[in-house]
Amino acid sequence: MAKVSLTYLRKIADIQKWFGKLGRYTVELFEGSGGISILFWRTLATAMSTRLRWRATLEQAYKIGVASLPLVMLTSLFTGIVLALQSSYQLRLFSAEQFTSDLVALSITRELGPVLTAMMVAGRVGASMAAELGTMKVTEQIDALKSLATDPIHYLVVPRFLASCVMLVFLTLYADVIGIAGGYCVGVFKLGISHYQYFNRTVTALILKDVYTGLIKAFVFGIVIAIVSCYFGFKTKGGAEGVGQSTTMAVVVSFISIIVFDTFFTGFFYLIF
Amino acid sequence: MMIEICDLHKSFGGKRVLSGVNLKIETGETMVIIGRSGCGKSVLMKHVMGIMKPDSGKILIDGVNVFDVDDDEINHFRMQIGMLFQGAALFDSLTVRENVGFSLYEHTHLPSEEIGRRVKEKLRLVGLSGIEDLMPAELSGGMKKRVGLARAICTEPKIILYDEPTTGLDPIMADAINDLILRMQKRLQITSIVVTHDMTSAYKVGTRIALLYDGKIVGAGTPDEIRKTENPVIRQFITGSAQGPITSEEASHRYLVGNHDNHHES
Repeated sequence: MAKVSLTYLRKIADIQKWFGKLGRYTVELFEGSGGISILFWRTLATAMSTRLRWRATLEQAYKIGVASLPLVMLTSLFTGIVLALQSSYQLRLFSAEQFTSDLVALSITRELGPVLTAMMVAGRVGASMAAELGTMKVTEQIDALKSLATDPIHYLVVPRFLASCVMLVFLTLYADVIGIAGGYCVGVFKLGISHYQYFNRTVTALILKDVYTGLIKAFVFGIVIAIVSCYFGFKTKGGAEGVGQSTTMAVVVSFISIIVFDTFFTGFFYLIF
Repeated sequence: MMIEICDLHKSFGGKRVLSGVNLKIETGETMVIIGRSGCGKSVLMKHVMGIMKPDSGKILIDGVNVFDVDDDEINHFRMQIGMLFQGAALFDSLTVRENVGFSLYEHTHLPSEEIGRRVKEKLRLVGLSGIEDLMPAELSGGMKKRVGLARAICTEPKIILYDEPTTGLDPIMADAINDLILRMQKRLQITSIVVTHDMTSAYKVGTRIALLYDGKIVGAGTPDEIRKTENPVIRQFITGSAQGPITSEEASHRYLVGNHDNHHES
């Protein structure tokens, strides 16, 4: 009898534990999104009210933008090529291969350019931002900044934030051009569409709206990457392990946020335009 | 400047670290706070700096509560306090010159030659020269601590907080740091708080010594008073004995609560 009641009690304890875990994850989720939002507003307020650190911002712009050019070039070039190949395979069924150019241009500028660029930058730069700030946190350099009467948000976050949102726009524009060029290579050299036709179709298919909605997305992704990475950097605890964890969290949360914001903005633009 | 810590409470995730700290530090005095690793000494220092906010209680510096200072004035306030961190906390992307002169570059409009001159002077004060253009990664542990100290005194603060200044240094370097702390106090009439568990250093630099134990100050006095104290907790700590009230209480506490709860604090 006693044995039965003990197993029963254990079961109850297990259920309690399960609810406890669920509760903790929920609290963590809200704490995280709340913390990220607070950091965003404080960064915005600081950026507006204090003088800009041009040197630090340009340095970050170089790290985020210029140094990411090769990576973004490779990904968008190959995406353009693959997209053209795969879509022409389907379009051939309707003898509509000449529409490959339209498809590539629209998908790249509206969707793949901004999203893939943001993912590449989040993986490359977001991780390094989180690791850098995380190391500063665990070695007390953030506290040292405060003790030297310097606001870490002004000194560290604002330059990264500004550089990230501006550079993401330029990188996306660059990715758009390279991606379309990739599609062009396939169209002209593989599918036999003439140079003039491909170029002409691309230009007529694209309207300004396609490009700038993509760039608005890129701008938002830039904000997301910088703020999320800095947030997890600042939250780092412990030592090397903590830095590793926050780097992972920064990349994972950036990726998820990029996808979520992308869906939201696509839906939003779909409704208003 | 006089520092008065009144009934300071702080807990992290349900674990009480400070539970009613009361301590008064007179102008020009060097107060050494001793205590076991992880007992909340560094946390107490960060409260004095105003970097951490307490759950309750206040810290008065010359009668002004640190936690009531406006955001606009907090930076001016912090300029009057210098802090030497445990691991020196030098900014590793900046050179020694930029580290030491950080506050001057950030908060003054002095020409860079003037800042360079002041940096040189402070470095000379801590016994270093010719290393202005090195990066922190190229320095040894003792040099880092001294550069950290030079950075802390660069704005000529009226209060200096030392967080474990001698930990991780060889005995000779540790003594050199002790001498530096004494020199700072004598020459510049600075009020200092030194957090340490190195008793040699505590006896040497302290005008008074206080023991932080179980979130409270359990006793304070001059080095001589501390040496002769009858308080069993302080006796165990200063003699460094493994048997005594501190360890037996911890053992019984572990037995009662179970050791599944292992929070760590910085």
